Amino acid sequence: MMRNTTARQDASPVVRVAGLRKSFGSHEVLRDIDFEVMPGEVVTVIGASGSGKSTLLRCINLLETPDAGHIWFHGQDLAAEHVDVNRLRENIGMCFQAFNLFNNMDVLGNCTLAPVTLRKASKAEAERMALEHLGEVGLADFVHAMPSTLSGGQKQRVAIARALCMNPDLMLFDEPTSALDPEIVGEVLEVMRRLAADGMTMVVVTHEMSFAKNVSDRVVFMDQGVIVEEGAPQKMFSSPTQPRTREFLARYLKD
Amino acid sequence: MSHESAAHPTRRASMTRFVTRDHRYVFLGTSALALCGLWLANTPHPGMSFLAASYVVESILYYLLLAWVAVSLVALVNKLLRWRGDAYRASSPFCRPRALRAERYASYVIWLIVLLFAVDRVVMGGISLVSWAAAQTTNPTDFFGSMAYMLCNMWPTFVQGVANTVIIALVGTVVAFFLALALVFLRLQLPDRSDNDFVRLLKIVGAGFAKVYSQVVRGTPMMIQGLIIYYAGTGVLAGRGLSASQILVVWSPFVAALVTVSLNSTAYMMEVLRAGIGAVDAGQTEAARSLGLSQWQAMRRVVFPQGIKNAIPALSNELVINIKDSSVLMAIGVLELTFATRTIAGVYYKQMEVYVAAAVVYLILTLAASWLLGKFGRRFDVQGNQVVLGTSDTPAAMPAKGEAR
Repeated sequence: MMRNTTARQDASPVVRVAGLRKSFGSHEVLRDIDFEVMPGEVVTVIGASGSGKSTLLRCINLLETPDAGHIWFHGQDLAAEHVDVNRLRENIGMCFQAFNLFNNMDVLGNCTLAPVTLRKASKAEAERMALEHLGEVGLADFVHAMPSTLSGGQKQRVAIARALCMNPDLMLFDEPTSALDPEIVGEVLEVMRRLAADGMTMVVVTHEMSFAKNVSDRVVFMDQGVIVEEGAPQKMFSSPTQPRTREFLARYLKD
Repeated sequence: MSHESAAHPTRRASMTRFVTRDHRYVFLGTSALALCGLWLANTPHPGMSFLAASYVVESILYYLLLAWVAVSLVALVNKLLRWRGDAYRASSPFCRPRALRAERYASYVIWLIVLLFAVDRVVMGGISLVSWAAAQTTNPTDFFGSMAYMLCNMWPTFVQGVANTVIIALVGTVVAFFLALALVFLRLQLPDRSDNDFVRLLKIVGAGFAKVYSQVVRGTPMMIQGLIIYYAGTGVLAGRGLSASQILVVWSPFVAALVTVSLNSTAYMMEVLRAGIGAVDAGQTEAARSLGLSQWQAMRRVVFPQGIKNAIPALSNELVINIKDSSVLMAIGVLELTFATRTIAGVYYKQMEVYVAAAVVYLILTLAASWLLGKFGRRFDVQGNQVVLGTSDTPAAMPAKGEAR
């Protein structure tokens, strides 16, 4: 499953974050974050709830506006005034904990809305592409189902297919399996594993340690708004250097 | 018994089943109906009664009803004697298969007879009353006669009033709906990162305008709004040198009423829509924005359709409110139902009769409106093609798209 990422080291990063700060009111959520994602890399962000993982993710596609610092996406500074956020987000797919499928459309409508509206794809072309991606996530038979009739795992897989329909350069996953019961988690992780194997650049905020350990190229551990430690999964899980990391992982790996 | 009602959970379904299938209905329900028929048969014949023509026919029908009540009584006694367990069903002569069928057919006949009496006494009675009243030269003294007399003699005014009320309410509600959509969109605007300063300013001004508009309109009575709008319009036109009769062509009380109801209802509908849209999960917008859709595209394609669906019950209520509240616009002299009724009352100097008639018409209009809108609103509940919930990847049912369910 591990891929050789050293060959890509000389390429420029997809995302580079420097000195990122964000607070909600007086509560500082992100404090001076530096962070990089290389093309084809799968980065998992782990950490306790409230450590700022999700906020970091949401800053990358500007769902949250950073207070200070810089984010470069393919070299474009997102902190600059009047960045075209809509154009930016077309190239960054995102999956949410609560799936957020559009309830007023069927599965096909969910997948074709953005390509037809933004890419000016013909309806037939968009539907062909949607069917292809729905096939990849194993839901080709559900094209005309409404979201309310799907199980959680199916919803999240549709959400992944919906994001893929825009051919993004980067996929952000915000705790994609946290709202699912343990039996269904596997089907979503399997889709994500295949996506990673196909070379998609991914940032995954998750509590699934097995995914972090076995699928990702790099694990980032966050605590109280700072990146405490990052490194290859083997090293992170076998011999973490920081005591806070050890403490967190010990609690998780116990069960 | 209990397992039957469990299989038919809705009240309507169990009622239908009681009437069409249940043996108990045949005697219980139909004998109650027959008693009503007997009561009707004992009322005097109206002038246009067709049953009055043949005493023999009417007597036969009457005694058939009486006989049915008697048979029902016997069946009741029979049931009481065999109350325990399944005794009645198993051994009563009323429960033999052929008897069951005969009783059911007989119950249909009873229905028909009662219907015949109802038409003869009530419908023909009404028609006779109206034709009698219309032929009078002075206002009759009895209540319904007088009502019929006044409405018959001034029916064009009354009908005009009903029509104007319906038009003002319908047009006002429809126009208000679209205005409210536009205003609620303004109201919900938030400055976006990609906006330039001019767009930001527009958004802030737009949201402020919508807020103030809603406060002002909802905080003042519609009658005053109507008076201001009407007299402002006539004032402006008079200032441009138009004569009173010319003004009436362009800016009649009717047009002013349409404008008033539209503008007034806009404010209320805007709040209703805002609540409906507020109830749409914020994640829906976030998902749309994360795909690259603009605020406007996310609103139009994802949030508004769901928000409007949420708001449909309260929006329909606005039509009902407009039907009733358009009555205050008699203040500007538009000939809607209340003004028409007051005119008729003024002509004959008799109030109760026509106002009761107006109340009945208002009630019919509002009931019809909410019934129709209820039917219309239910169409939005169709959840597309249902797939049986399951974690399996094989859909349990997969009807073709667009198939009615």
